[in-house]
Amino acid sequence: MTPPLYIALRFLSHRKRALLLSLSGVVFGVAFFICMQAQTQGFAKYFIDSTLGSNGALIIRSRFEPRQIGSLVPSKTSKANVAHRQYFEGITNANEIMRVSRQFSNVVSCSPILRGTLSARSGFENATVDLYGIEPALHLQTTDLAHQLIDGDVNDFRNKPNSVIVGSRLAETLNVEVGDTVQLLSPGGQYRRFAVAAIARSGVGSIDSTRMYCHARVAQTLLHKPYAASMIIYKLRDPDRAPALAQYFESLFQHDAASWQEREASTLHLFLTLRLSAAITVSLVILLAGFGIFNVLTMTVLSKMKEIAILRSMGYRRRDISAIFLWQGGMIAAAGSLIGCIAGALLSWGVSKIPIRLRGLLSTDYFVVAWDWRHYVWAILLAMISVFIASYVPARRAAELLPVTTLRGSSL
Amino acid sequence: MKPDAFLSCQDIERYLGEDESRVHALRGVSLDVEPGSVHAVVGPSGCGKSTLLYILGLLDHPDGGSVMLESEAVSHLPDDELARRRNEFIGFIFQFHFLMEDFTAQENVMIPMRQLGQLPETAMRDRAAELLESVGLSDKLQRASRHLSGGEQQRVAIARALANDPRVVLADEPTGNLDTKNSQRAFELLKSIVQQNQMALLLVTHNPAIAEACDWIHEMKDGRIVLTHSRR
Repeated sequence: MTPPLYIALRFLSHRKRALLLSLSGVVFGVAFFICMQAQTQGFAKYFIDSTLGSNGALIIRSRFEPRQIGSLVPSKTSKANVAHRQYFEGITNANEIMRVSRQFSNVVSCSPILRGTLSARSGFENATVDLYGIEPALHLQTTDLAHQLIDGDVNDFRNKPNSVIVGSRLAETLNVEVGDTVQLLSPGGQYRRFAVAAIARSGVGSIDSTRMYCHARVAQTLLHKPYAASMIIYKLRDPDRAPALAQYFESLFQHDAASWQEREASTLHLFLTLRLSAAITVSLVILLAGFGIFNVLTMTVLSKMKEIAILRSMGYRRRDISAIFLWQGGMIAAAGSLIGCIAGALLSWGVSKIPIRLRGLLSTDYFVVAWDWRHYVWAILLAMISVFIASYVPARRAAELLPVTTLRGSSL
Repeated sequence: MKPDAFLSCQDIERYLGEDESRVHALRGVSLDVEPGSVHAVVGPSGCGKSTLLYILGLLDHPDGGSVMLESEAVSHLPDDELARRRNEFIGFIFQFHFLMEDFTAQENVMIPMRQLGQLPETAMRDRAAELLESVGLSDKLQRASRHLSGGEQQRVAIARALANDPRVVLADEPTGNLDTKNSQRAFELLKSIVQQNQMALLLVTHNPAIAEACDWIHEMKDGRIVLTHSRR
């Protein structure tokens, strides 16, 4: 143990109240930071997982052709290219696109969907339905639909062509349960009856309140569409690489392709803003802890001026004196970060057990928290930086004290 | 300057304060401290005794002249090097003891040894215990320094000044805060240890009895040594 560390330890252990004050500031700051990040990222991650689990990481939609305009030289910017496209509804040759797509290492699976909007009726209740005609086997491979079922059996849906899976909030609107019947109004004006095989809850409000799944062939008949798929959704190994793959698929298949990041950009920005706002707010707590440590160490320097002078007279260098105070800050930061991380984890766990019935943008019965090691690293980093700055000034001041000034003053 | 002097200074000039409050504290002071010798610096308050002591102890820089440690000019050395020399060659004792109050008597004596870094922990403990025993505090090794009496604290300070076996001990009114009995006892102790170990002792004092017991007395007035006489 170096002499400055030895002396720093002793100074700290003999000022228990000041130590406790400094330590508690860092502990609270770190714990709150971790807990806030766990919550805000928890809800964001829940939204992302839910949206990926329902809509896939990437979607291919309408076919397009470049629109012929006067200029012979194509524009270099993609935005300009998009403006010069002519879109055609539906996917042309979905099976061939899916066959080629599966060759890509990032693609886990894909599923064609025939999508349309219909009116649904059950008893006296009516609702507008976002109908997804799916191939059950492919869709269950590509999405989390099987895990989203809160009632009913996916095999009932799989085995009965005239059955549907209904979004949980849509089921509440239509007042239907598993085994009930809903009527869907086709564009020709005819109602067709379907049995409710299961009820699904994705956790995303906009999906749960409008979506209904039926078999693709039934949907084609019901919607009178000339094509078998209006979109293809993809499950990817690395969803973060979806934007690059979407861009590539667009040029390869000449179909509009959108990554989940592009689709959900506004909601993701909202979550990011909330996370940053929470991080800034809680960082202020850590900053306040830094001020506390600054005050405590400054007071220590003032109360230890004679001891600093005697240490200097005994051959301790300026940097040794400085190190005594930096070590004190370092030990407070280390202990505070460690205890703060444990407290933050316990706090996050406790928060995740708080019942809350959210039925808005997200549907959840408990607070959602994310367990991410990076929250802990950031919290420790912030605490270390804050404490270092708070310790540096008093440490420097202590090192610059002239021993002779103190000694002269005390001998007067 | 004597060639065998441990510590000497030549034509030291020192100004204190700034502008209108600037004082010429030392005016061409020269002094030699030889092994085994005991020096007293006496004079009225404000005559520059402590200033001379701090300059000789490498705690302060002279504005003119030079300080030599074992015949090597040291005044110009960088701060870190001066600190190393203080740690290795010089022991300080101050009027108000200046013990580290969060440490025991034994730990106080070990503080200079830790900085020197030549002994392992157990050897430092043993040496500190030996030194405290030699000043009559063998039963108070583990006593917190704040719980020692004034006389005991000063004896711990003496033991601490001797911790790294310095060549010279500089003492600024070491008995100024003690009663007559304790003053005499502390001085005799210090003097005997210094002489036994062939160290040198230079002390600033207002106590005529202590000054009379030293080998050399340097009388200072207005920043000058006006008279030096030997008591040998």
